[in-house]
Amino acid sequence: MKIAVCIKQVVTRDWPLRAAESAKWVRDDDASFEMNEPDAYALEEALRLKERHGGEVVVCSAGPSRVSQVIREALARGADRAVHVASDALSTAGADTVASALAGAMRDESFDLVLTGLQSDDQGFGQTGVVLAERLGLPHATIIMEVDVAADGGSLRVKRELESGWFQWLSLPLPALLTIQSGINQLRYATLRGIMAAKRKEIRTVPMENAEARGQRILELYVPEKASATRFIDGPAPEAARELVRLLREEARVL
Amino acid sequence: MERETLDVDVLVVGGGPAGLAAAYRLARLNEERGGEPLMVAVLEKARAAGAHLLSGAVLDPSALSELMPDWKDRGAPLDVPVRDDRIYFLTARRALPFPVTPPPLRNHGHHVVSLNRVVKWLGEQVEAAGVDVFTGFSGTELLYEGDRVVGVRTGDRGIDRHGERKSAFEPGVDIRARVTVLADGVRGNLTKTLIGRFDLDAGRSPQSYAIGIKELWDVDPGRLAAGSVIHTMGHPLRFEEFGGGFIYALPAGRLAVGFVAGLDYRDPLFDPHVAFQRFKRHPLVANLLAGGQMVRYGAKALPEGGWHAIPRCHVDGALIVGDAAGFLNSMRLKGIHLAMRSGMHAADVAFGAVRANDVSARRLSEYARLVEEGPIRRELYPVRNVHQSFAGGLLPGLLFSGMSLLTGGWWFRDPMPSHAGHERTRRIEQYYRGAPPEPPGVPIDRALTFDRLTNVHYSGTRHDEDQPSHLLVADTDICRTRCIEEYRNPCTRFCPANVYEIVDADAGEGKRLQINASNCVHCKTCDIMDPYQIIDWVPPEGGGGPSYEGM
Repeated sequence: MKIAVCIKQVVTRDWPLRAAESAKWVRDDDASFEMNEPDAYALEEALRLKERHGGEVVVCSAGPSRVSQVIREALARGADRAVHVASDALSTAGADTVASALAGAMRDESFDLVLTGLQSDDQGFGQTGVVLAERLGLPHATIIMEVDVAADGGSLRVKRELESGWFQWLSLPLPALLTIQSGINQLRYATLRGIMAAKRKEIRTVPMENAEARGQRILELYVPEKASATRFIDGPAPEAARELVRLLREEARVL
Repeated sequence: MERETLDVDVLVVGGGPAGLAAAYRLARLNEERGGEPLMVAVLEKARAAGAHLLSGAVLDPSALSELMPDWKDRGAPLDVPVRDDRIYFLTARRALPFPVTPPPLRNHGHHVVSLNRVVKWLGEQVEAAGVDVFTGFSGTELLYEGDRVVGVRTGDRGIDRHGERKSAFEPGVDIRARVTVLADGVRGNLTKTLIGRFDLDAGRSPQSYAIGIKELWDVDPGRLAAGSVIHTMGHPLRFEEFGGGFIYALPAGRLAVGFVAGLDYRDPLFDPHVAFQRFKRHPLVANLLAGGQMVRYGAKALPEGGWHAIPRCHVDGALIVGDAAGFLNSMRLKGIHLAMRSGMHAADVAFGAVRANDVSARRLSEYARLVEEGPIRRELYPVRNVHQSFAGGLLPGLLFSGMSLLTGGWWFRDPMPSHAGHERTRRIEQYYRGAPPEPPGVPIDRALTFDRLTNVHYSGTRHDEDQPSHLLVADTDICRTRCIEEYRNPCTRFCPANVYEIVDADAGEGKRLQINASNCVHCKTCDIMDPYQIIDWVPPEGGGGPSYEGM
């Protein structure tokens, strides 16, 4: 099975965030970066599928040159080779732009299965995988908790997470695209041998086909104003309590 | 599960300036000398090279220029030459400028840098030169054959807080090396065991240390011109305490603001974190920082003992370099160039030894000769007694430092006698002779001054929570019985990251020690300064720790 995993490099989760001067993105000039966590689970799932069914795992990432850090990390964990769609314009791009960039580089590879994380830790739209499926003309399923490949290798049975503890099983033909939920498996560590082997693996760098941002743009990014208003309710306790309930119900709307 | 092994010719433990300089030099030697190239690898516990190191930093580029004459063309991030040096003596309200900057503190020709960025860049150069740099792997024990060091075992990964294997368990790897170069930094965990096993510090002065605490600030550009260097003495320290503050200006309104406090203070209630906050509240500093924003925080110990405290740095199969050995000039407040220089010497010696198939201590003692006869001794020997002279207080220290410029550091007793810093801490009743006064606290406004926990957040520190504590306290009963009475648990003050807390015991009365190991910024102060010497700092799972990007 020829499996693609799309990974994104994001600013480390606990990096203290500040808006950049342009107010279009966070200041990330000397931020520390890491692999988007849901994508790490997608990678692990791909490696496990390859261990069970054979084939190849290809890492695909769209972003500026710094994303080679997470590409190498993925290769060190066991991916076979990588495709890097390189453009500085991709560092803050939205789902549509990223998906189009990836689709352009992935189309000719004819993957049997494409995995992405459910969403990114920075923008969090949860759309890149879905739009990518559309661009590649593949059926897709989202929020995947379990993946079974049919014995004949021609279709999948997958478990989706729904609301309130409900799950859904569905089948779909291959080739297909799945967006993977975090926590679906236990991540492995990169080994010394894996890191050494990664150096010899191929990273194919391709330019972005259509470099201007599509679809949506970030207009402004700001830290929410912290507004804390305290109101005192005077009067005897029983009346004050009634008033408190009324306010909670009618103004705060929490009851 | 079987333990992997990996064989290399030279293993460098620690990807800081010393270790990476050694690795780069080895790669160059491979190229210059031809023949079968030596296989060289670097182990680094941080997730990325440079993420666990912390320095001011003003860089003397002499060693770098020799290691890599074309560093400019290779894009070394040394973009800000020092433009002026100022030094002040601070009283509580005033800043008295020194009329002349003492020669050791003149920084003409040096560069204000982010050491994190320099080392990250150096790591890239080392990798490009063909060296394997393994980040995220800690060296947890030395491997021996008899008394010869034959490599390092890396830490197991995937152990839970109870010591049980998690499903992703990955055993540590035995990396076997002909020569192991220990560049594990100040109070390095492997160097510490090596020194202990072979008494490498026999006949040497005890190493003394300081703790450096630093914040990066973004302020109005133009408030302090990039390349400005300010050092201070005095407030908030008393004459009996060693240390001082620094402010270095980087481009675009970024300031490195820090404070160094000797880890040899007598007052058991002294608190380096509070001293740093008080330093920032001094008008000289507060005016520079007003309206600015603190963007990063970190802390790290540094070796201050100087020439007489450097242990024997060669044994069968291993060499010690950089801060791990104590190559730091505390009079010039500089160690990066000496660390790099020692790494280069070690590389030269290791290369020759592997080629000659003789890695005995006798052969490796060539390293000691290079240190003795080269620029390291030339720089460190004349100031060999300077740090020790401050044991009598600031004034005798300054007097001696000034004098030593003329006398070449001579003193009636050479080495000037000294004690390990933790032995100088007095017990409460000795120091205060009665009930101690309220310690000089500091208001925390979260604009200029910060509490430890807020600061730790800005260090980017992260550890997998589900792992055993990497701070081993041999006897926690001492904390709640003796220490609480004798010293009032100084760990809660000298740790800059709120790792140690004394909390109410779960059942019954009394107190107990709580260790918040995941806060640890790997500064090593606790291992150094604990008065009972019962804290052992061992590396946590590889990759854990602070994230000093830009520091």
